[in-house]
Amino acid sequence: MGEAPADLPEAAVRRFAEGAFTSGLTVPDFAACLQMGLEPVGFVQGYCVMQWQWYGMGGMGLGMGLGMGMGGYGAQYANTGGYSENWPCPHGMVSAEHRAWGQNFEQTWVETAWTEGFTSSYDRMVEEAASVGAHGIVGVVDTNQPLSDMGVLEFRVQGTAVRVTDGVPPADGRPWTTYLAGQRLAKLVEAGYAPVSIAAAVASVRVWANCITENLTEGSNSMYSMAQPGSEIDQTVKAHSVVRRLARRRVRDQLDHDSLHGAAMATTEHELGQGDAELQCILRGNRVRRFKGFDPMPAPVPTVRLL
Amino acid sequence: MTLPAPPGEGLPAPGPVDLKAEMVRATEALGRSAPGGSAPAKATRMMSDLSIDEELVLHSIGWEPIELVSGVSIHSVPMYVWNWGQGEIEYASAAYARSFARATERIHAECTKAGGRGVVGVHVEWEVHRHHVDVALVGTAVRPVDWNGLSPDPIFVSDLSGRDFALLHNAGWEPLGLAAGASFVYAPRRSVGTAVKQKGQNVELTNFTEAMYAARESAMERMQTSALGMEGTGVVEVKVTEGPMAFAHHAVAFTAYGTVVRLRAGEHRHVGARMVLPLDDPVLGFDATALRGG
Amino acid sequence: MSDTNETSDTSDMSGTGDTPQDLPEGASRRLAELEHGLFTSDLSVNEFLLIKEVGFHPLGFVMGSSIYHTGIQTRKWGQSQELTKLTEAMYNARELAMTRMEEEAAELGADGVVGVRLDVNYYEWGKDAAEFIAVGTAVKAENGVSHRNKLGKPFTSDLSGQDFWTLMQTGHIPQGLVMGTCVYHIAHRGLGATLGSAGQNVELPNFTQALYEARELAMTRMQDEATELGASGIVGVRLEEKSHQWGSHTIEFLSLGTAVVKTSDEVTLPRPTTIISLDN
Repeated sequence: MGEAPADLPEAAVRRFAEGAFTSGLTVPDFAACLQMGLEPVGFVQGYCVMQWQWYGMGGMGLGMGLGMGMGGYGAQYANTGGYSENWPCPHGMVSAEHRAWGQNFEQTWVETAWTEGFTSSYDRMVEEAASVGAHGIVGVVDTNQPLSDMGVLEFRVQGTAVRVTDGVPPADGRPWTTYLAGQRLAKLVEAGYAPVSIAAAVASVRVWANCITENLTEGSNSMYSMAQPGSEIDQTVKAHSVVRRLARRRVRDQLDHDSLHGAAMATTEHELGQGDAELQCILRGNRVRRFKGFDPMPAPVPTVRLL
Repeated sequence: MTLPAPPGEGLPAPGPVDLKAEMVRATEALGRSAPGGSAPAKATRMMSDLSIDEELVLHSIGWEPIELVSGVSIHSVPMYVWNWGQGEIEYASAAYARSFARATERIHAECTKAGGRGVVGVHVEWEVHRHHVDVALVGTAVRPVDWNGLSPDPIFVSDLSGRDFALLHNAGWEPLGLAAGASFVYAPRRSVGTAVKQKGQNVELTNFTEAMYAARESAMERMQTSALGMEGTGVVEVKVTEGPMAFAHHAVAFTAYGTVVRLRAGEHRHVGARMVLPLDDPVLGFDATALRGG
Repeated sequence: MSDTNETSDTSDMSGTGDTPQDLPEGASRRLAELEHGLFTSDLSVNEFLLIKEVGFHPLGFVMGSSIYHTGIQTRKWGQSQELTKLTEAMYNARELAMTRMEEEAAELGADGVVGVRLDVNYYEWGKDAAEFIAVGTAVKAENGVSHRNKLGKPFTSDLSGQDFWTLMQTGHIPQGLVMGTCVYHIAHRGLGATLGSAGQNVELPNFTQALYEARELAMTRMQDEATELGASGIVGVRLEEKSHQWGSHTIEFLSLGTAVVKTSDEVTLPRPTTIISLDN
């Protein structure tokens, strides 16, 4: 992750100077932390607000399917590196109503913006933790939400900074982080995994539909359609496959021989009309490293509770 | 594959673990420069969406997770299909069946490519839109530790959790794949009011009954046929849904899907469940949302 | 096994020749597939394993449904009374659904049905009508001994796999899902009566009486069914109250439970281990 920005609000500095800790841990998790030898030091957080517009939403009448290829507002950003695949229609004709040119392309500018927002907020949280001498941060929660309708997206990352009893501070000065806390973290460590950091990546793919995709998605019966009714919508399906693969690849690139545990992959689709769509896939997980082999475990005993 | 020893037999009880020492050891290992430095030579880089409990249970039967895999398919439904008609809405039933089948094929292919023996914990998301039926599957590919990649059995895809997979495995069963069936029908044409000659008479409406009942049976039968095609012995954890379409209330969908299983080696082995009487009250687990301040 | 048609006898049955009377054609086809050895079930893996533990094997998912007109019955605005026609309707509708489910189970040669769920669906296009559905998993004893109930029919029960296992350990076996229903109209209170008690926290004897009577009727009818089955008791009783589509002064009281019978004096419950679980 990038350079830690040294721009924490002044209030944060004051809060930490006070000494007593606040923590977002529940009582059982607090107890579990102490059991593991983790002393909570304080509640840490990082924020970042990014400008956030709907790219590629335009094209309402702007150069729609002029057959010259890249009609539409968003398409000027296509071919900015990243996945791009043409989907020309199989018909020979070109007209204002007929979308002869289709394309799936990766919206790298969206991905860059999201990554920046996430990384900045993450780094700020880590800096807060480092400033109080924490060794790690547990129970991390990261969210992003739009702020009213100002066209901005707020990234938030929060967690509980902890110190390891009899442990050593992290070599590079950056505390390790994990989404887990409580018993789940204890079992992770018992199983031989050390938490390294949370890992998250986004992939964003835009479907600029060709005539067949539009007809199949809208169910329309254009006489030029040539689309078999009830057939698979290849262009959109391909975009779905690619967006998931890209998100996984981005996270894998961050892992560097470590493993990803307890991942969650969420894909959303915004239908923009006329067969167009914007797909976004976010993959989150815990980057972990083995520090010992799995001890052979006896199988757990199945039980039935009487109450 | 030989059947595993009955649970707990022949292995020493694990000694008490010094968690604090383990935590120190873990964080110290991070400080060493090379990732995987003190770990066993073959540190497989894996990605999994299983919980730590599931992973531990998998390891107890000698399996490990390796990769996150997925499969998606979208089939279109032509216009006018949802207008009121009679009997089955074949385009919709076909779209569901095909999307399910193609999505399963794709996640199966990703599993093969990743070197997995099967996929567990598949989240099945399916949705019927006015003009297309979408099916998306996400799961974790798993395999026996140190698997040599050879097996006479086909690669499986199942929505069993890691835990259920291990339980069935110990009882002698193995999953084969996901079987699904759906039947979309129009509600019978005549309104209920005219179907009853005398108001105030409470009787069965046989037209309607027959139509809904037949559709339900049809969906289950299609699922069964799919299961038989995989040469399975049974289908477990069948999930049944039914209800009208949000965008067309007179069209009703009946769906059923579950994991097809087969008895691996002769006989079912009893698990020997023990009855317990816990003294504690159920405790709320850690939920990351506690930190959201909500 | 020969192809099943709607009038054939199933071979594994002891006693009565159950022939499915009014199951749709699709059901027969589906059940025939199940008779060839494939089983289906919506039991969880836990329940599946526990059923096997007590010597039963799942045969297949069985269901029955009935769409019934549940219209209005005339009633007096100011009088609390049972609406007997509606009671009959609700009872018949559920009976039809349950009977069809039992027929499917009998067709499979089952000893019983576990995990029965009774649901009611309302469809927008069917005003004054509701669909009553009964679903469950048919099971059969692996030792071949018939475990059907006193009437020679497969037993039904809404017990989960876990409860079924526990019950069998206590030396009891289910006989049937028993139900009693009562549709009651609660009198509207006159304006004078409402004003009279305004601002005071008092018992409203009319309402109390009405609700009391309705619930008792429902439970008594349920018990009568259990007696018919020669049961020694009813477990898992619950009382549900629904207004369906009739407005808030007309309520159906439905009492459901599983009638059981003692099979042996031996209770094979293993001594429970007390544990203090540290895990969430």
